[in-house]
Amino acid sequence: MRTLGVLLRKELHATFTSPVAWVVSAVYLLVAGYTFSLSLFFSKVANLTYIFHQIYILLVLLVPVITMRAFAEERKADTLELLLTAPIREIWIVLAKYLSTMALVGGLLVLSFSYAVVLLLYGEPDMAPILGGYLALFLLASLLVSVGTFWSSITENQVVAASASLGTFLMLWFIDSIAYLLPAPADLFFVNLSILGHFTPFVSGSLFFSDAGFFLTGTLLALLLTTRALADR
Amino acid sequence: MVTFDRVTKRYGSFTAVRDVSLTVEAGEILGLLGPNGSGKTTLIRMLTGYHSPTSGTLSVAGFDTVHRPMETRRRIGYVPESHPAYGHMRVREFLRFMASLRGVAPSALPAAIDETVEALSLAEVLGKPIHTLSRGYRQRVAIAQALVHSPDVLILDEPTNGLDPRQIIETRNLIRGLAGRRTVIMTSHILSEIARTVDRVAILLRGELLTVRSMAETPDLEKLFLSLA
Repeated sequence: MRTLGVLLRKELHATFTSPVAWVVSAVYLLVAGYTFSLSLFFSKVANLTYIFHQIYILLVLLVPVITMRAFAEERKADTLELLLTAPIREIWIVLAKYLSTMALVGGLLVLSFSYAVVLLLYGEPDMAPILGGYLALFLLASLLVSVGTFWSSITENQVVAASASLGTFLMLWFIDSIAYLLPAPADLFFVNLSILGHFTPFVSGSLFFSDAGFFLTGTLLALLLTTRALADR
Repeated sequence: MVTFDRVTKRYGSFTAVRDVSLTVEAGEILGLLGPNGSGKTTLIRMLTGYHSPTSGTLSVAGFDTVHRPMETRRRIGYVPESHPAYGHMRVREFLRFMASLRGVAPSALPAAIDETVEALSLAEVLGKPIHTLSRGYRQRVAIAQALVHSPDVLILDEPTNGLDPRQIIETRNLIRGLAGRRTVIMTSHILSEIARTVDRVAILLRGELLTVRSMAETPDLEKLFLSLA
């Protein structure tokens, strides 16, 4: 655990001093704040359903930009060789990268909780879908960050890593559309791969273990694959 | 201290290292000499655990590099050819990070860093970000990170590449100064560097070990190399 602490400190420093992190944070807060203000003034309804879907799109677009440097930068600078020849296990390196990125993305989600506070101060919102929505955003962020980290682990080109991540996220978003063309039970398989399909029930206040399990299983699978990619050299 | 036993490394149909057997004694400085592409870097990367051998075994202090990687890596300090370091870190921070990773206890960190800084004359740049340092200083920082945990074995891949004459002499003196206290394995494709620095030389060509000679018994390394290559 001490090794994880040492690696995590280094990763947090690298993440939070990166200009990319600050630019991405600024874009996220600007767009989310703008959307929240507009939707509130136009609809005058105290819920965050629209803003949750907006943040969902922002995460799909911005997480690849944050995760692209995770391993690709180290590989290009040869510092990955220093890490992989130190007496530490690959899983600690992967976890430190994942947790530091989650600290940034989680911090952005916590900041956006100010929208819920505004609704609480000036209205009487139903808190179940709001809390469900934030839980869904954290689970979604976890999946996206782990998949983005995986793509970064198999290339030294950050643009390739970001493009592969974005492509994967978009495919996982729209993959259920192919179900219309497939017979049962194959259609169900693709419907259940859709991240939007597992995200939407949370936002409407319905919590299912299967939806949470989808995001958590996906996260673990991606972290496992990342560890394998580092170990297989 | 270090043994290579019938080590082979293949990448698909290409054989980078073929059936190399070699022993390096404790406190010895061994040079791996060969042209680019002769398998020097592949050989030491297998020793550091960065690559696994296709066949054969490598061991450090009796521990197998594949089956006991943590034991072997703890005993190794490694300086890759490009002298990598985290540019955004300050020198002290980088040395502290690398020492912690290699298992130096928190209470022993200040003494370990101070000792290394003194040995490599890094005191005046200790608080500077690494990306602002000259190439010579960056190379010294790269060697410092490999020595900060007092390893039994120091591995240097082309340690004098890209350095000016003064820096080359300083690096050579530093390596010679470790003789008897550390086992040092260095690679180079420069004959004169190997001749002036090491106790024994192993000559590699196209992945095969051609010969291992004591420098004391090799008055003309250039002649030997040309007769083999």
